[in-house]
Amino acid sequence: MQKPTYLILVRLLLFLSIASCASAQDEMQFPVQEFVLSNGMTFLVVERETAPVFAGFISVAAGAANEKVGDIGTAHLLEHMISKGSQIIGTSNYAAEKDLMTKEDSVWARIDRARREERYIKVNSPEKAEAHGKYIDTLEAILDSITQQSSQYVVQNEFDVIYTRNGAAEFNAVTEQDFTSYFVSLPSNRLELFFALESDRFKHMVLREFFPERDVVSEERRLSVENSPDAKIFEQLIGEAYIAHPYGIFWEWQSEENNLSRADIQNFFDTYYIPQNITVAIVGDVKLDTVKKLAAQYFGDIQAGPEPEPIYVEEPVQTGERRLEILFDANPIVSIAYHKSAFDSPDEPSFQVIEQLLGRGRSSRLYKGLVLDKQLCSDISVYTYPGNGLGDKYTGLLCIDAYPKDGIGTGDVEKAVYEELEKLATVPVDERELSKIKNNIDAGFVWAAYSNPGLAWNLGAAQNLAHDWKYLVKYRNNLKAVTAQDIMKTAGAYLTPQNRTVATLVPKKEGTTQ
Amino acid sequence: MKKYFLILVILLLSAALSVYAVDPRELKFAPLEFKPPVPERFVTDNGVIVYFLAQKELPVVTANLLFHGGTAYDPADRAGLAEMTASLLRSGGAGRRSPEQVDEELDFTAIGIGSAASDDEMTLSMQTLKKDVSLAFEILSDMIIEPRFDSAKVATEISNRMDDIRRQNDDPRRVTRRVFYETIYTGHPYGLSPTLASMGGITREDILALHKKYYSPNNCLLSVSGDLTLDEVKEIVGKYFGSWKKSDVAISALPMAAMQYNPGVYYAERDINQAQIRLGHLCMDIKNPDRQAMDVVNFALGSSGFTSRLMQQIRTTAGLAYSVGSYNINRPLMGVFFGFCETRADAMAQATGMMLDIIREVKDKGITEEEMTLARESLLNSYVFNYDTPDKIASAAASLEFYGFPPDQLQRNVDALKAVTLEDCNRVAQKYLAPDKCAIIVTGNRSMFDKPLETFGPVTDVSMEIK
Repeated sequence: MQKPTYLILVRLLLFLSIASCASAQDEMQFPVQEFVLSNGMTFLVVERETAPVFAGFISVAAGAANEKVGDIGTAHLLEHMISKGSQIIGTSNYAAEKDLMTKEDSVWARIDRARREERYIKVNSPEKAEAHGKYIDTLEAILDSITQQSSQYVVQNEFDVIYTRNGAAEFNAVTEQDFTSYFVSLPSNRLELFFALESDRFKHMVLREFFPERDVVSEERRLSVENSPDAKIFEQLIGEAYIAHPYGIFWEWQSEENNLSRADIQNFFDTYYIPQNITVAIVGDVKLDTVKKLAAQYFGDIQAGPEPEPIYVEEPVQTGERRLEILFDANPIVSIAYHKSAFDSPDEPSFQVIEQLLGRGRSSRLYKGLVLDKQLCSDISVYTYPGNGLGDKYTGLLCIDAYPKDGIGTGDVEKAVYEELEKLATVPVDERELSKIKNNIDAGFVWAAYSNPGLAWNLGAAQNLAHDWKYLVKYRNNLKAVTAQDIMKTAGAYLTPQNRTVATLVPKKEGTTQ
Repeated sequence: MKKYFLILVILLLSAALSVYAVDPRELKFAPLEFKPPVPERFVTDNGVIVYFLAQKELPVVTANLLFHGGTAYDPADRAGLAEMTASLLRSGGAGRRSPEQVDEELDFTAIGIGSAASDDEMTLSMQTLKKDVSLAFEILSDMIIEPRFDSAKVATEISNRMDDIRRQNDDPRRVTRRVFYETIYTGHPYGLSPTLASMGGITREDILALHKKYYSPNNCLLSVSGDLTLDEVKEIVGKYFGSWKKSDVAISALPMAAMQYNPGVYYAERDINQAQIRLGHLCMDIKNPDRQAMDVVNFALGSSGFTSRLMQQIRTTAGLAYSVGSYNINRPLMGVFFGFCETRADAMAQATGMMLDIIREVKDKGITEEEMTLARESLLNSYVFNYDTPDKIASAAASLEFYGFPPDQLQRNVDALKAVTLEDCNRVAQKYLAPDKCAIIVTGNRSMFDKPLETFGPVTDVSMEIK
């Protein structure tokens, strides 16, 4: 008989309690129970009987920022590919499929090589260029035909079908800069299904239908970035704000995406999807003992891997304002970004408070000042980037997007924004305004637990960010300790002209940078 | 030799088995037995119908209000009036509080209040911590009973909404959606969008008149959930909504008149590298007895994400789209069925052709037994997620009564779904799907398309002028 695989068992009943002066909140207690398998995979469990359902949330502490130059897009494509099934799910004949995938990969390697040679042939032996182009076309046709052939063995989307049949809700995945998350809600009597399916794809992932899926992800870029003015200006803004850190790339580039291979995906998976990097949060009508048993049974046999390197590169201090324009078939937008701190910095709590002071609610400084009082914009929003709501893993940005009213120049809007930021650095925030922010922090903390998926998400995010879910409470307390002086100090140090990047979306028809 | 071979086979087999101790497909689960809690219902003296469901887990309270009326009741030359009125209930000041005071107090206490108007209803919603529940209801009821509609704020909100209209072509997805509804409901108020002219024409008097007509207690359903007792809710409702005067609201039913679009292609020109396609037709109202069967058909066709034919063939197999699927939206008078797809510009015709073929195939040949079973199981197993939080349960009960359904309608839906047969599905597919009568909206740049738009019927160029 095998010994239980979970070695460390943190059976402390840890109470996530709100210790504030507000009496109504003292009542709120969620026992968060934590255990870690011997391979390092962390489980967080909240038993909650509100309804016979549960939310399962798997968070991997790696994302787009971990991609290497040449392989940008792997984290996101992997997020898609991991739902393609396993050696048994999604296939009618894995052996035959495997054979064809090997063939596909070798044809792809030849296409890749031929494409690399193409530019040199064009320069050195132009007379051979046409034949070479045809050679590439032929290889591509072969690749297509192998893909066609393997499709006979594919049971399409079987992984999704099984979840769907069992009533899955909120079933999705998301790739962020520092995290990749997989989530689903199920009727509570399907707990074992969650473990069986999730462990299957994490243990026996098969990268079938690779080449069509690569096209799907390219289409997602066109939809989400190329044709959306908000995304387009954002992509250019952060690309300009960062010169060294990978946070500067918002979305994979199609040219690079089109050259990703199965090996690139597998490599990213092997490096980062190690159990020590994974947190599973389960919230709902479940029992801890059952979760423990299933966790050991289904995830216990994954081998721990070598810890991957963190991202060492630090964004150098910006030494002057950067400005850029984006021509687009849309009305003007102005976006302003300031480099800020990371979650472990003593300045980070003030930034989170500043974000709320400036942009949260109709009475916030920028909304009230620029939209309601001065009527310079029809809307304005403030956010932090990458911004998972708990502070950023590496130094992020504080961003402001403003939508000028008809006939108002972006310069006037900018000027008004800077005046408000200047005030932050020079005039102490009065007590009532600071209390307003803190009341919202308390309320936000309560509401974050309203739904099972919300609570699971927050627990998983805190665990992955700070390596301790109790950071949720610490974070809240840090925010509540921020003083008017802290805000002045942080605003004065960071919200300066030399630390900012300003992007302006200019309507194509009246573009100034022709 | 043979023996060794056997041992080898056994070893290999057991290795394969050890990789798969459990095949996830072999796990069997009983249907979830679930009876959602039933909210309390009472009616106040002045006619407010109240639903309440207690929730003790968190110190929070939510409320939702529903009023008959909505944007479909706007006069054509005032399109946007119901929406503006709703917006100004929230932003125009309430009772003794100026607009600024309302904003400041709500933000200070982290009370969330939102208001909106859609085609067939006007809504307000509120979320608060329990400790501020009195203040929250005081401000909420003031907004509804004694809104100030501050003149300056009326001007600001209208002006900001006009700026939003000026931006309505900036996001192609918004263009596709708007053109689709304007086209499909040609001639009917469901198809009206606010314009600069209709917005600019709205006066404070129009807003006051709409408020007087529709925001009355006998036209209101209120649902409350949270950390309160029934007695507390009765006290709160009595205190804050008791003085609200009944009115003689007579909300005439909307006419069914003239929803007469012409099938064909409607081209919205935008300089983008995608073609965004939405094609569909009028389909069924919310009380159509075929709606459960249609849900099953549409599940197989396009509403179920990855398990649907549209997704499998256009995204998974052909790699042509990230976002593709179909909706069957039932509305009180008449709803729509439509397929949607966003693809690269030079695959416009390929994707459009595939969508029409897939819809045609379901219409002519129906769905399979397997597809029906999957759809039914999935819809039944996920039913619980309509009732997994107290606010959903309370507001669902209110919403049923609002649209004239019996209180046990949810159970009836489940029963009807269980009773759906393949024959029903195929009859309904044949009866309602109309791939040859679609309005086909295409947003994009026609010079980049793989085939001319005329391939799919007569082409109408939709004006992109902001009026």
